[in-house]
Amino acid sequence: MKYFAPVRIRIEKDVVALVTRVLRGKGTLNVNVGQQVSPEEIIGTGEVTSGFRTLNLSTLLSVAPEQVEKFLIKQIGQRIYQGELMAYRKGGLFTPKKQITSPTDGILDFFNNKTGELKISLAPRKADLPAGVYGIVEMVDNSRGQVMIRTQVSRIYGICGSGRSRDGILHILGKKDELVPKNMIQNKFDGQILVGGSLFFKDTISASISAGVSGIITGGINATDYKGMAGGRLSFPKKLDNDIGISIIVCEGFGSIPLGDDIFDELKEHEGRFVFIDGNKTVVNLPSPVSSSLIKVKSTGISMQQTNDFVSGNPAEQVLQLSVGMKVRVVGNYYLAAQGKLLAMDDSPTLLPSGIKTCLATVETASKKIQVPVANLEVMM
Amino acid sequence: MPKLPSLFDSFDNLDQILPEDIASFLKPVPQLTQLEDYLANRILYPQVIPQTAFDMQIDLSILREALKMNGPKSGMDKNNALLGSNPFLNIILRKLLIPAKFLNFVPNLAQLTQVFIDALLSDRKKEDWFEDLWTIVLTDDTDEIVGSIILTQFDGSGGVMELSVLNRNYQIRQGSMMVISCPKDRCEISYKLKGGHVLGKTESAIEVYGGKLGVMVDGRGL
Repeated sequence: MKYFAPVRIRIEKDVVALVTRVLRGKGTLNVNVGQQVSPEEIIGTGEVTSGFRTLNLSTLLSVAPEQVEKFLIKQIGQRIYQGELMAYRKGGLFTPKKQITSPTDGILDFFNNKTGELKISLAPRKADLPAGVYGIVEMVDNSRGQVMIRTQVSRIYGICGSGRSRDGILHILGKKDELVPKNMIQNKFDGQILVGGSLFFKDTISASISAGVSGIITGGINATDYKGMAGGRLSFPKKLDNDIGISIIVCEGFGSIPLGDDIFDELKEHEGRFVFIDGNKTVVNLPSPVSSSLIKVKSTGISMQQTNDFVSGNPAEQVLQLSVGMKVRVVGNYYLAAQGKLLAMDDSPTLLPSGIKTCLATVETASKKIQVPVANLEVMM
Repeated sequence: MPKLPSLFDSFDNLDQILPEDIASFLKPVPQLTQLEDYLANRILYPQVIPQTAFDMQIDLSILREALKMNGPKSGMDKNNALLGSNPFLNIILRKLLIPAKFLNFVPNLAQLTQVFIDALLSDRKKEDWFEDLWTIVLTDDTDEIVGSIILTQFDGSGGVMELSVLNRNYQIRQGSMMVISCPKDRCEISYKLKGGHVLGKTESAIEVYGGKLGVMVDGRGL
């Protein structure tokens, strides 16, 4: 008897792909198309603004909002330093003099003469953009501060995800089957991509956003939390892109599910290295850490068509006839995400406790042999 | 792209089902988070079949809610009076339409029919007495009539229905449900009710469709 199962592409090794590097803030790029780059090479410099601060000068000076401007020492648009005099009002017979100093370094950005509020943009700081990968510059977009680099990556496909493209140093938090509570998240993870175990709780995700974590790779997630990130719907592939300030990729499914051995082992090989994550496309790009990868990168072209094909983030889904020896993954409610080698398939159907008659498959996992309905298997590629 | 068949591939709004609604038919009631994760995994991996009896109960509960969401909406019947206005219920012809492929995932036809009744008929406001009687049809390339449903109207005083089918007598009490085997194409039924009525009468004889399911008498309605 013939049995068919869906094919799931989980990892693609050593493929030549385009990765995008984006300046933080406005700035300049100093690479050209065709230029060869190495990970540490600075390919541009941007200016990052850290936000703004608002002061109500009307209240501080004890004058009406429309009168504040005549007491300003510095003009709108001028730079100001912390402690520098910003506004001054002479004292009168019954009123004391008022001296308002700047609480921070910044630029006097905007004054609202209806409310008396002054907005100070915090002083921008320089942020260098390293190439992050060995590769060849494919495209430079100065207006958007973007550089596309052709490089060699190992690519991991998740099941679902959320969040725009981000990058950072890969950090494995612990075992692949651990729950990740809030207290595991530390401020030192700022800008990193965390690899979790079987489940990131909602509080943990919130703590990660607060700590400035760039991305999360997890085995499972609670469906409620995922819905909250993905616009309230569960449709696969997702129809709209979302971003909640962090990129998340779920590799196995919903609930507490350990990360599969294949993905966890691949991620372990890249721990401490610079990687790219795109939650909306449900993909993690792990750039090759060796300079010799440039040989393949140089000899392999990549068309924009290939880039567009990849935009869906959904590797070609197909159905394959199951055969003994195939690497399979369980997707049923029992042994969910267990993976192993297909050892045998029954010739005759078995009556399951659910009342369904179906043929069972024997799968040899790393720890034991299990029997599951053939319908509950996926072929791993 | 080839696609493997699944119980829920007729529905694209499963994610709108509330876990509380799924839980309302389950005993013991699992944690709602678990149910929501289960449902999400069924959407993610639609081809999966349930292994345990409890998983089957969850699947049936999901199916019940999916049918409710995708069944005919009240007040729409007159506007959508064309035959086949809903894929699961033909109100004009009083047919309950069960896709035959569903039996691959829920082999127990009586159980499957009950889910359809719960979702589409139990809470339905009846327009006339004739809505006490429905024909059950398995739909595929060719349709197959598999039996009939009699929705008994009890008045809440603990009524009883006495029924005679193929020279055998049955008793259906208020709040219960019974499947009576009647493999013939047409089945003659005579009934007598205390504290209720069917087709507007307390006593009558009718001829209904039989089939591989037979006659399902639902005495749960008031």
